[in-house]
Amino acid sequence: MTKNTLRTAGKAPSPTPAQPLTAEARPVQQQRRRNPPIAGELAAIAQAQQGDGASFEVLYNMHKRRVYSLCLRMLGNVAEAEDLTQEAFLQLHRKIATFRGDSAFSTWLHRMAVNVVLMHLRKKGLPLVSLEETLEPSQEDGPRKDFGARDLTLSGCIDRVTLERAVEELPPGYRMVFVLHDVEGYEHNEIAGMLKCSIGNSKSQLHKARMRLRNLLRQPADGKVQA
Amino acid sequence: MTSDRTHTPRDCDEFQRQLPELFDSDRDLLAHAHLQTCENCSSLVRDLEYIAAQAKLLLPIHDPSPAVWDNIQNALARQAKDDNKSS
Repeated sequence: MTKNTLRTAGKAPSPTPAQPLTAEARPVQQQRRRNPPIAGELAAIAQAQQGDGASFEVLYNMHKRRVYSLCLRMLGNVAEAEDLTQEAFLQLHRKIATFRGDSAFSTWLHRMAVNVVLMHLRKKGLPLVSLEETLEPSQEDGPRKDFGARDLTLSGCIDRVTLERAVEELPPGYRMVFVLHDVEGYEHNEIAGMLKCSIGNSKSQLHKARMRLRNLLRQPADGKVQA
Repeated sequence: MTSDRTHTPRDCDEFQRQLPELFDSDRDLLAHAHLQTCENCSSLVRDLEYIAAQAKLLLPIHDPSPAVWDNIQNALARQAKDDNKSS
């Protein structure tokens, strides 16, 4: 295998942990990979900034799926995800005049939506990342050490629906970091800044999330997550 | 690659303890010395890399119900009304 495929391609050198990257500071190429420009978006932004309601609706229709999917994946609850999608777009309406175009609009909006979800979870008093997490692998999430026995590898076996279901089964803390890092493409330093945890903690949570997913995805065909 | 016993369970524990950092490093993981002799840990690394690669392909597929836009419109209308009253 070539270079570690878990890393995001084209990473810039990491900043110091005390200064998490903002969405605006992320490499433009990386932002574009995840957030390609949408035709007509610039004009809609400019008009929405002038208070044009129809243009705001155009922006809503362009971005509702991505914002809602993010909320749903982070929360695992349809009603809450819809409430927070609504809140994210209301916040967008309040703040759109401050958008200067330094980053992709979708990156900016996405970060806003992530913050809305995180604030909601903090208000509910849910720990975003459990404090006792360390880099020690737990028994529960460790792989089997069946020496000499070749494991069936997952390669080529996972379809999107199966993976989606497995992600839904993750505990909230694991799911949060997995969605932010592996699905949404945030870096550990950014996640640490958002979740107010250490970078090591973010890495540990991500590793445990992947380990848990591996176990879920290797369950027999009659298991919960298999389609 | 072989699955002979040139490594011990302790080697696997040590390797797996380092995995969160190794995955985030620039190193070519499969070139790691431990993986040259350990089929089990190689399989683990391949699986975790595969899961991460598949996750990047998860597209936003869910749409909010039409009620979400209705609620946004209502909230904006209320806000505009309040703004007019106060000005």
